[in-house]
Amino acid sequence: MAGAAVLGGLTTGWQVAEVVDAVDETPRVRTLVLSAPDWPGHRAGQHLDVRLTAPDGYQAQRSYSLSSAPGEPPAITVERLEDGEVSPFLVGELRPGDRLEVRGPIGGWFVWEPALGGPLLLVGGGSGIVPLMAMARLRAAAGSEVPARLLLSSRSWEDVIYRDELAALADGPRGLEVVHTLTRSQPAGWSGYARRVDEELLREVAWPAEANPQAFVCGPTAFVESIASGLVALGYPPERVKTERFGATG
Amino acid sequence: MSARTEELRLDGNALGGALLELLGPEGTASVATCGSCGARGELARLVVYVRCPGLVGRCPACDAVLVSVVEGPDQTWVSLAGLRTVELRR
Repeated sequence: MAGAAVLGGLTTGWQVAEVVDAVDETPRVRTLVLSAPDWPGHRAGQHLDVRLTAPDGYQAQRSYSLSSAPGEPPAITVERLEDGEVSPFLVGELRPGDRLEVRGPIGGWFVWEPALGGPLLLVGGGSGIVPLMAMARLRAAAGSEVPARLLLSSRSWEDVIYRDELAALADGPRGLEVVHTLTRSQPAGWSGYARRVDEELLREVAWPAEANPQAFVCGPTAFVESIASGLVALGYPPERVKTERFGATG
Repeated sequence: MSARTEELRLDGNALGGALLELLGPEGTASVATCGSCGARGELARLVVYVRCPGLVGRCPACDAVLVSVVEGPDQTWVSLAGLRTVELRR
């Protein structure tokens, strides 16, 4: 199959993409940079679907958030879930030059662009950072001065995805403010947060509601729902809290 | 609700791929009205259960089934029977 097939005037949306680069972000997380000839460009926060077909015809399909800024080649960052059908293959076996089927970009609600303003609050749980990273990268690439703060909950320092790049994005007077919390283990001398995000932590980190912030929250379902209700309790209007949940079927 | 069930409870962002041909790439931003209770909001804000098989989208206000989608190898079955309206963005 070459490119997105057109059947009866409708595009099926699926096209073959080639892996052009694979970057290990943590021991369990890998970024795949893709080359897709019919890629129309994407917005920060959108995702794509991946479809794998076994030799016997069995197909498995998953959604992955795009981590690259708009204007960059599509890239997805995938966490290996040990009992998953798809993620162990994407993280452990795919190599540059390999191909897979994708469709996208997808999504028109969980997206941010500088014109939407802020202040911007990004809250990620684990690999929930991925679509938020596309927003942070866009903000930097566009030279946006919208105040932006990221609260990222990770299990340990080794599990922090994009750790070095986040430090670089935080540099400078208009840099992204990055607040980490490490829920399972902390390096020696750690002075940051070391617990799950609770109401008190959220109150300390989140912009006050009076500043009319725009929040994006991404992570596992329980994480997202706890943060979203916490922000609403702090006075954020529900329509200013955009959420994206991901499941544990990798 | 069991942990397993919770892992299968996502949101309307997950409908985007299956409804790509019907609503376009940004279709999850389309505003829909529940046929049962009249609640109105973006499709992205629905409660969506995956692996039903397929996807089942429920109203976040009254839990009525609004959307169901099953993707097969050669066709996609879509029911929007629970919705009163979908506002398509141009």
